[in-house]
Amino acid sequence: MWDDILQFIDPVLNAGFIISTIKAVVIASALLGIVPALVWLERRLMGRFQVRLGPNRVGPFGFGQPIADSIKLFFKESIIQSSADKFLFHLAPAIVVFTAIVAFSVIPFGESVTVFGEEIGLWGANINSGILFVFAISGMGVYGMVLAGLSSNNKYSLMGGLRSSAQMISYELTLGLSALSVIVLAGSLNLIDLVDSQKTIPFILVQPLAFLLFFIAGVAETNRAPFDLPEAEQELVAGFHTEYTGMKFAMFFMGEYINMVTMSSLVTLLFLGGWNSYGLPLWPILAFAGKVFFLLCVFIWLRSTFPRIRYDRLMTFGWKILLPLCLFNLLVTAVIKVLYFPTGIL
Amino acid sequence: MFEITYEVVVFILGITAVLAAFGVILCASPIYCALYLIGNMVCFALLFLLFHAEFIAAAQIIIYAGAVMILFLFIIALLGGAKEIAEPSVQRSSAFAFVILLFGELLLAAGVEPTRPITGDLAPDVINAIGSAKAVGIELFSRHLIAFELASILLLIATVGIICLAKYSYLPARKPSK
Repeated sequence: MWDDILQFIDPVLNAGFIISTIKAVVIASALLGIVPALVWLERRLMGRFQVRLGPNRVGPFGFGQPIADSIKLFFKESIIQSSADKFLFHLAPAIVVFTAIVAFSVIPFGESVTVFGEEIGLWGANINSGILFVFAISGMGVYGMVLAGLSSNNKYSLMGGLRSSAQMISYELTLGLSALSVIVLAGSLNLIDLVDSQKTIPFILVQPLAFLLFFIAGVAETNRAPFDLPEAEQELVAGFHTEYTGMKFAMFFMGEYINMVTMSSLVTLLFLGGWNSYGLPLWPILAFAGKVFFLLCVFIWLRSTFPRIRYDRLMTFGWKILLPLCLFNLLVTAVIKVLYFPTGIL
Repeated sequence: MFEITYEVVVFILGITAVLAAFGVILCASPIYCALYLIGNMVCFALLFLLFHAEFIAAAQIIIYAGAVMILFLFIIALLGGAKEIAEPSVQRSSAFAFVILLFGELLLAAGVEPTRPITGDLAPDVINAIGSAKAVGIELFSRHLIAFELASILLLIATVGIICLAKYSYLPARKPSK
């Protein structure tokens, strides 16, 4: 018995295992470190869009503001009202952050590089159905919001949770179907293959409609304005996280911002050609990071431009406009592919 | 060596799935029942993953754990997740009889024939190709085409039925006063 276990562990402790562990730690800590930077970026950009300054007192350009904010959140008293379901109340924010980080683990952000004779891929894991994995795990993230709404024992939280589940299910269809038209063109579910098939031309030029639909659905999936119905302040206090304080409250925000990064990375990989720089003298990883940064700015730009849409209109928009458009686009793409490019496009 | 640890992992996952299934029927609070069911489905997805069925595992999570169970939680939230109180009744005892019957059936099924290992060319790339989306798609659209299309028609009928049932008339509840 013990011999078996030791024999199992021995080959496991090789270079591959150590590299994977380092990758996991680096990706998780980088994602968690990006969150305060994004909060700072969002507040500064929002300030610019609204003709005001934004945070500028703590440190140069207000760089110290997110640090001060996170220290404040750490030391705040954690309040749980007595009627809440304690276990689910603690579980909900953990699910949100966990699924957000795990979903990012299959996102590749560059070609593999060779360090000390070991070939290291710039991704957490390269699995065959990478894009399905992202959809599956980010779909599980809804449970965090629903359970937060259910366990809080508060009618506004419950409504926020219900709205979020309805919204996520509706827009997941659009998200998956618009990604499917790209998958049909590339003929693979693997994210690295998808990027490789965009070597000459990014899919945004081939599939502009699918790009638009995917981006709209992506904004709705991450619960960002103008689709932030689950936490509509004017009608639902703060939606599913009304009852949360301190670090547990901050965890919902961490989940939201990490999901924003994941969604921007997905759009980059599927439609903007990933790390291909199309003639510009850029490192692949910088090309990827630049595109993701641009999309994150677009996310913030959208938030400060559009008012929140009404709940029934959100549903009508999703089911009666986006979904038929998606199906139509997929049908046309599939027909063109079968008739003109049976062996593969580009 | 590897086989033993692999089988241990499969065994632990199977036991977890069974325990989660017991949790579904034995737990008093509907919310926790639904959560146990989600845990059960995640265990199944992991088992599929261990059997090299990547696509099926992803589909299991996306459809069952991601969409269907969300609707379950949705309904529990709307109806209120109050704890059920156990009370003896005819239905309860007949349910137990049914469970015993099902166990007997399971034993019978297990005793029919010993399980056989898969034989043939088992190169790593062949094993990887078994569970891919391409393999599943080719299988569905060639050998099981009629069953697949019938299932889609059934789903369409169900969708139309749901819309008919859920559609309410827009007639005003009270006649407008003249």
